[in-house]
Amino acid sequence: MYRLSRLKYVFPIGLFVSLFLDGALSHVWAPLFFSYPYSMASELVLLWLVLSYFFENGIEIPLIPWSIAAGVVTDLYTSGILGLCMVLFPCIVGLTQLLSKYFSSSFLSMIMIFFIDIVVFETLNYWAYSLINITTTPFGDYLIYVLAPTLALNLVYFVALYWPLRSLFNWATTEKNA
Amino acid sequence: MRKFFSNRRLVIIVVILVVCFGLMAGSVSLRNRRNTPPLVQQFGNDIVGFADSAVALPVNWLQTSFSSVNDLMSTYSENRELKQQVTELAQTKVRDQTLAHENKQLKQELKLKSSMTDYDTVSAAVLMRTPSAWQQQLVINKGQSSGIKKNMPVMSDGGLIGRVTEVNKTNSKVELLSDTGESSNRFAISINGSNGVVNGIITGYNASRNELIMGQVSSKAKIKKGTRVTTSGMGGITPKGLYVGKVSRIGKDDYGLAQKVYIKPAADFNDINIVTVAESASQE
Repeated sequence: MYRLSRLKYVFPIGLFVSLFLDGALSHVWAPLFFSYPYSMASELVLLWLVLSYFFENGIEIPLIPWSIAAGVVTDLYTSGILGLCMVLFPCIVGLTQLLSKYFSSSFLSMIMIFFIDIVVFETLNYWAYSLINITTTPFGDYLIYVLAPTLALNLVYFVALYWPLRSLFNWATTEKNA
Repeated sequence: MRKFFSNRRLVIIVVILVVCFGLMAGSVSLRNRRNTPPLVQQFGNDIVGFADSAVALPVNWLQTSFSSVNDLMSTYSENRELKQQVTELAQTKVRDQTLAHENKQLKQELKLKSSMTDYDTVSAAVLMRTPSAWQQQLVINKGQSSGIKKNMPVMSDGGLIGRVTEVNKTNSKVELLSDTGESSNRFAISINGSNGVVNGIITGYNASRNELIMGQVSSKAKIKKGTRVTTSGMGGITPKGLYVGKVSRIGKDDYGLAQKVYIKPAADFNDINIVTVAESASQE
């Protein structure tokens, strides 16, 4: 039961901490993240959402409502342009749920699903922003200078945080009294 | 096989898409038109900003302590260089004080209250940077309650870095000069040429060479490399005399009719911790 487990506190706190860490790390490591011509977008929120779907151990976290909430906060606070992340975050959660039906739940298939998630997220983000004229970067440049470094960064996050987060979720999903 | 795009699902997807793009376009145009975002948005942003400082401040603190250990390594050689500069600076400072005093007296004589060079400053810490490749934007921890208004110029490291684009009660967003958005870097600037002052605006940013571009400069103007560039104070909101950078090279525009001046900005856009927002005193 989601209501009775520690996840009730751990999941939302982790969600918003990762959201704020995205911004804080982009600020602190800006010389690394935004060194010309590359730019990496840190997507710890997506990592948290995807991994909590994989690690929820049968406890059903209301991922879609939480991802909409995180998306609204991201839109209002970090970018100031409403309407993008609030739709894309739940879409990515849905995509993860859809893809995980077809693959076993091993580390390799999880990292592959996360890879696809990031590609879809960044590409839809780029497409929407180029439609409303916030960016005019050509598609080829986007692939080489934005998507590739972003993937590299977020896969490093995935590998580095996979085991710590798994033990965190193991701890949080066990019953309090057990 | 079940059809993926059944009628109902297709309608829902289209509706979501329309709402989505409506919201995005709406919020962009709203941001350009209004001085402050709607109250609900401000309120939300203030609460989130408060929660953000719980994460951002420890991270910032960690970074500062790491970089201070790094700085310790180069202290000796830096100290020697700085000592030399300090002796020069003392002289400049005294002269500056005398001139400021004289300036004040002269203004009193002319019964001028304040001119374009007078400005007050508000210091703020950077909370976060937008984690996106498409927006070069910072969130700082001061807002309306500290007197910050939309479009005020923001400085760091003694140089201009951008302008305030959104103001909430306790935090605000700053768009950097390196942003590719059309209005992000239109600042009125002036350069002292050898045959008079050259006025113009910043028209673009060259990311590959980290240079600001001042376009459409009359080809008669003679500008030397290394000349200091400051804001000209024209347009009202930005005070006169904020340091922008130095002229790095001068080129012709595409048709060869006018000059293009390339300016190396004084501040590093990727290394900003404390910013100063300048508030023109002649506004009030």
